[in-house]
Amino acid sequence: MRRQRHRSRGPEVWVGLACVLLLADCYGNSTQKVSATVPQPKPPSEPVDSNVVPPDPCRQQRDPGRVSLHRLNRAEYDNTVRDLLGDTTRPARDFPSDDISSAGFDNDADVLSMSPLLMEKASSAAAQLVEEAWKKHTVRSCELGAEDPMPCARELLSRFARRAWRRPVAASELERLLSFVTLARQEGDAAELGVKLALRAVILSPHFLYRVELDPAPASRTPHPLTDAELAARLAYFLWSSTPDEPLQALAEAGTLHEPGVLEQQVRRMLSDPKAQALVENFAGQWLYLRAVDTAAPDPVLFPSFDEPLRHAMRQETELFFREFLTSNRPLRDMLDADFTYVNDRLAAHYGLPLPGSEAPQRVSLEGHPERRGLLAQGSVLTVTSLPTRTSPVKRGVWVLEALLCSAPPPPPPNVEGLPPAVDPGASLRQRMEQHRSSPVCAGCHHLMDPIGFGLENFDAIGRWRLTEEGSGARVDASGTLPDGKTFEGVTGLRPLLKGDARLSECITHQVLTYALGRGLTEADTCAVADITRQAEAHGGRWQDLIIAITRSEPFTHRRGEPEGNKP
Amino acid sequence: MRHTSLSRRTLLRGTGALMALPLLEAMLPRTVRAETTAAPRRLAVFYVPCGIHMAKWTPSAAGQGWALTPTLQPLAPVKEDVLVLTGLSHWPGKPELNGHHAAGTAAFLTCAHARKTAGTDIYVGISMDQMLAKHLQGATRFPSLELGNDAGTGVRACDANYSCAYAYNIAWAGPSSPRPKETRPRAVFNRLFAGIDPGETQAQLEKRRMYGRSILDFVRDDARVLQGRLGATDRRKLDEYLTSVRELEGRIDELEPDGPVCQPGEAPANTDDVRAKTRAMMDLIVLAFQCDLTRVATFMLGNGRSDRVYDFLGLSDTHHTYSHHQRLQTNYEALAKIDRWEVEQYAYLLQRLKAVRETDGSTLLDSAFVYFGSEVEDGNAHGHTNMPVLLAGRGGGALTPGRHVRYSGEPISNLFISMMQGMGTNVSTFGDDGSGPLRDLKE
Repeated sequence: MRRQRHRSRGPEVWVGLACVLLLADCYGNSTQKVSATVPQPKPPSEPVDSNVVPPDPCRQQRDPGRVSLHRLNRAEYDNTVRDLLGDTTRPARDFPSDDISSAGFDNDADVLSMSPLLMEKASSAAAQLVEEAWKKHTVRSCELGAEDPMPCARELLSRFARRAWRRPVAASELERLLSFVTLARQEGDAAELGVKLALRAVILSPHFLYRVELDPAPASRTPHPLTDAELAARLAYFLWSSTPDEPLQALAEAGTLHEPGVLEQQVRRMLSDPKAQALVENFAGQWLYLRAVDTAAPDPVLFPSFDEPLRHAMRQETELFFREFLTSNRPLRDMLDADFTYVNDRLAAHYGLPLPGSEAPQRVSLEGHPERRGLLAQGSVLTVTSLPTRTSPVKRGVWVLEALLCSAPPPPPPNVEGLPPAVDPGASLRQRMEQHRSSPVCAGCHHLMDPIGFGLENFDAIGRWRLTEEGSGARVDASGTLPDGKTFEGVTGLRPLLKGDARLSECITHQVLTYALGRGLTEADTCAVADITRQAEAHGGRWQDLIIAITRSEPFTHRRGEPEGNKP
Repeated sequence: MRHTSLSRRTLLRGTGALMALPLLEAMLPRTVRAETTAAPRRLAVFYVPCGIHMAKWTPSAAGQGWALTPTLQPLAPVKEDVLVLTGLSHWPGKPELNGHHAAGTAAFLTCAHARKTAGTDIYVGISMDQMLAKHLQGATRFPSLELGNDAGTGVRACDANYSCAYAYNIAWAGPSSPRPKETRPRAVFNRLFAGIDPGETQAQLEKRRMYGRSILDFVRDDARVLQGRLGATDRRKLDEYLTSVRELEGRIDELEPDGPVCQPGEAPANTDDVRAKTRAMMDLIVLAFQCDLTRVATFMLGNGRSDRVYDFLGLSDTHHTYSHHQRLQTNYEALAKIDRWEVEQYAYLLQRLKAVRETDGSTLLDSAFVYFGSEVEDGNAHGHTNMPVLLAGRGGGALTPGRHVRYSGEPISNLFISMMQGMGTNVSTFGDDGSGPLRDLKE
């Protein structure tokens, strides 16, 4: 059955029909309202006539979709000025924060808007960046002659604008930039001042602040390949959250970047560059909710051992773990049960592992510690999916369904009561929850989320291993039954079931492609997701295979215009 | 120009950032001088998330004889400057099904029903502060200031399929154009006083303005040429850019040779401590009013559906978790602590405004409207009736504070109409349900 995906929180759409219908009952008679707001899967169409084979939609001409004019987000701006001007002050920290789209990432072109406040900040930043770069000689590739500064100004500005605008600069554009030098000299100022004005204009221009991709026919839906310069920018902002470097730009200008061999070579080169840390911070940071580790607030009375060094070590663990999967090209699925992780002494003690004897995180084997294997046993994930005072099997279940299986249930109905306080102080959280969802209207969705969370109940709200609950003293029961009837015992039993889930690979493709394109996926992308997943799996289902398959895919390498009068 | 007025900077130098000194007529900024001697009217908005526990908020007596309740206790020093308005409704904030926090926050100052979407087609309405900012355009260097404590969380999920834009912004320049807020005090300060160089001559300033405009001319031309080559969606995106360039241009023209006629003092430090940050933001509002850099400021203590943990109040769960109190006494107590702390911050702002005197001897608070409210009434029931509302200041005579006024379901939009009229506009309808001014604000 083909899954239907909408532009809303894509993952929510994959919910079993049963959950949605049961949820509808939660509202009493308001089923109609529900269907207006909760995307529902199409029922499978009945084959009417077995002689008529319906056309395979994936064999027809594909719609590569279109990415809107993409304003650089704050991370992209900071990395870009770092690589362009050598500035590491991260000026965009003072810009207004970027909106996060329903797709879950802050690089969605559709929601990256421009405001007067942002323009004002970008303008002040431009002035300051140019002053600093001028002082440090970063942009001064030649000396402005006192007699005739124009040749140097020309060379300097054309070189800079080409890098900043990620494409060759037209002669007319260069003349316009040089007119700042003329203006300054007419005013009796030095040529230098004119050049600096021109540099400010370059990095305030829409050609810098936006990633511009053009359609030969802006009103036509006919797909066309991106130019090599546009492709270079897509690659660089996908893997580095930054501007293309000189080798990429040179290949783009030579017109060879789109050749599959060249493209693959570049992707591998880029992934081994330290700048690929951006993919860890910006992609994994949002995909796995790692950014939330920074603001997690476990109750200091209940969890006095949670402090800043531990918080830091937790985030580092998952970042380094993901980083190794990328650079060592490991299979995606192994993220669920890898036999290694990265801990320092602090985190190792927290986990009950042998101390590596280091303040800095070390790669350690998990031989003999099966309970600590894989993402589901990492403190970062376990902490951000907990409440300040206790674990939340619901949040943990939703995390797995949303991030790993793209099957998150819809949000709870209005005005439902949360978990009531314990009547029996010795009752476990699980017993209280089971009582709570004895109501069939809530059970519909909760039977999807809760069992997964129960399987992780041996980890407390900051990821420590436990056999009994802190407050109630009740013994932890980490057994469960998934909706398909498969039963498991604890995290070691749950892990292989999730690892073997058919949805896992396609879900990760969905997440990475969303981030790579900087747009929410639509139904039209279904075939591309399936193809990319198949290609990556055929090569062994490793991270680099997935990324290479994405960079070769139709949505990544092509675009189209849009008919006039259409809503985005 | 520079030498015709006595610079107050000279007098204030070294006296500290925020001293309340009487102004002399000759030292008033150009914009104020151009008007009559009456002090300009100003609006400040103080938004708190997740509603209020009303049992400890609502005074039992109405009129002037009202007594401070546990939650309103921090208002003691400014009790005669505050109106407690109970019984006002805010129905436009009611969402389709769930999403009360996002829809309520979107409607907070717009009094309009937000379109339910998590996509790009957000639509709500223009907010009353932005109506005033438009009305006052050109009077001050900044039409309005948008401040808050919390940027986005960096993690997905806002509120039940309502866009984060609804939950993170209360100022809307147009139905689809939220005005993002600033959340770093030092950046706000630098922005307020950017481009001010006391040693600069008039000629130097003129030239600096001219160069600034030449850059904007250049990028505007870039955008226009580019726009001709784009499809419909991208043209709209560049419209935002062009609008922003236009506004920045106005800002350059407003650069005065003297800069603001007050001493900015030290820039505040950036901090993540919500106590220090809130104080810094309140100080910045007072400073911006005092220097007449803007007359409209909004502040969000947290974003809609805030998950802040008030550890310094001895609380361990998040604000949103407590607000779903399930009628438990312990949760009520936690909420009352948070509410009271919020009112304390508001009272601090009022006291600061009251300490600054204008030329006619009145205080900044006398000429101001300082509004306090939340996106819902009670966080458990998500009510949209009997909203928690405070209005402080005299609005230059438009208000008679020091009272508790009970209403019977009149919409908040009517209160906003009164406030906007008090600020000099002739608005007579507003939002989805505003049909005229609200009774009994003045005795």
